[in-house]
Amino acid sequence: MTKALKLLLLPYMGAVIAAAFLWPEPAKGFIGESSRIVFFHVPCAWAATLAFIVGAVYSALFLWKKNPWYDDVAVASIRIGLVFGVLTLITGSLFANIMWGTWWNWDPRESSYLLLVFLYGAYLFLRAAVEDPERRPRIAAAYALFAGVLMPFLTIVAPRVTASLHPQTVINPQGKILMDTPTRVVFFNGLAAFSGLFFWMLSIAARAERLGRRQVS
Amino acid sequence: MSALARAWAVCAKDATQELRRKVAIVAVFFFAATALALVSFGIGPFGLRAEDRPPLLSALLWIILFFAAATGLPRAFVAEEETGTGLALRKTIPAVYVLAGKTLFNYILFLAMTAVTIPGFMILLEWRIGSFGALAAIMVAGGFGLAVVSTFLSALVARAGQRNVLFVLIAFPLVMPLLVSAIQATNQATNGQFPLDGIRILIAYDGAASCAAYMLAAVAWED
Repeated sequence: MTKALKLLLLPYMGAVIAAAFLWPEPAKGFIGESSRIVFFHVPCAWAATLAFIVGAVYSALFLWKKNPWYDDVAVASIRIGLVFGVLTLITGSLFANIMWGTWWNWDPRESSYLLLVFLYGAYLFLRAAVEDPERRPRIAAAYALFAGVLMPFLTIVAPRVTASLHPQTVINPQGKILMDTPTRVVFFNGLAAFSGLFFWMLSIAARAERLGRRQVS
Repeated sequence: MSALARAWAVCAKDATQELRRKVAIVAVFFFAATALALVSFGIGPFGLRAEDRPPLLSALLWIILFFAAATGLPRAFVAEEETGTGLALRKTIPAVYVLAGKTLFNYILFLAMTAVTIPGFMILLEWRIGSFGALAAIMVAGGFGLAVVSTFLSALVARAGQRNVLFVLIAFPLVMPLLVSAIQATNQATNGQFPLDGIRILIAYDGAASCAAYMLAAVAWED
């Protein structure tokens, strides 16, 4: 990530956060200002998904090119994805407490997202359990790709099989984005800002992974 | 030797070994029987209200099937490492045929377990099934996905530490979509409906898992 982009990210992120609280009106049908969580909760979920996809892509690159740098990026990306995944659960839980009066209600979407976090948490356990340093990245890459193929069933199919309290998602059955203009502008800029934040974090974490690997070897 | 013959040879080898030692078979059937006895003892035929029975019994059935399978199915590759035959197998047969053969054996083991567990479940819990055809289709489609994922993950954890704990840890989130769909579909089959959507999801899951396992077999098993 270039230095100019990193410098731009701070005011951009600040502007998005300020706009999230000041510009759009709270959505109808939600208690108080709770609908504003959409500007943080969905971008966190998006950043986590992006991180897991990047992890799968770099795992495939590692298996193809056998370059350990790709494994460093894959593991760093999945670690960051887990951070965003946990933030998604926390922000969702805050919203649930305001709207439904309970922090956790085993809604299908909540449960499937929790399992998604477990799925990639298991990736780290698997890495730790394989002692052979030659085999570890290969096994981890195979798992990341296998999980990547089955992930849509967990995040897209499973929550739609049962009834859910969760508000309608951006990708809805009508195929339309049901937002007014200010909400839409802030929301999509939020997605862009969180994506930028993810790539910045990834560039640091991947280099840290490489340093750690070199120290061990 | 054709691809099918090689996979069948691996399956036959596993079946012969298993019939001789009976580790996986005893583990799977013993767990299923114990869980079934525990559930029937806890709930009994009249412990649930009539309207609650189909969804709860469908969920309980799949919980029993999944955890019973989790005690035996991961042995597919782990047993090769424990007996020291893994290297010979790797040198003689390509990974994809080994995976296919072991998946087939696990699938047969799962179907045999369901053939014993379901009648027991029906008798002990007074479970009435509205559509036997639908239930059979769910077991065939759901069992295949479970066998593919379990066998592939068994190859991944075969040479890792704490294999058994690790297997359950990595398998549960991956098979969750399959279990959710299978439970919903079983609930509908109990009520006499044919759950076409649920079976479609199971078949899609089976297809995705099989393709991914086929592509990654060599990475997971070979050196």
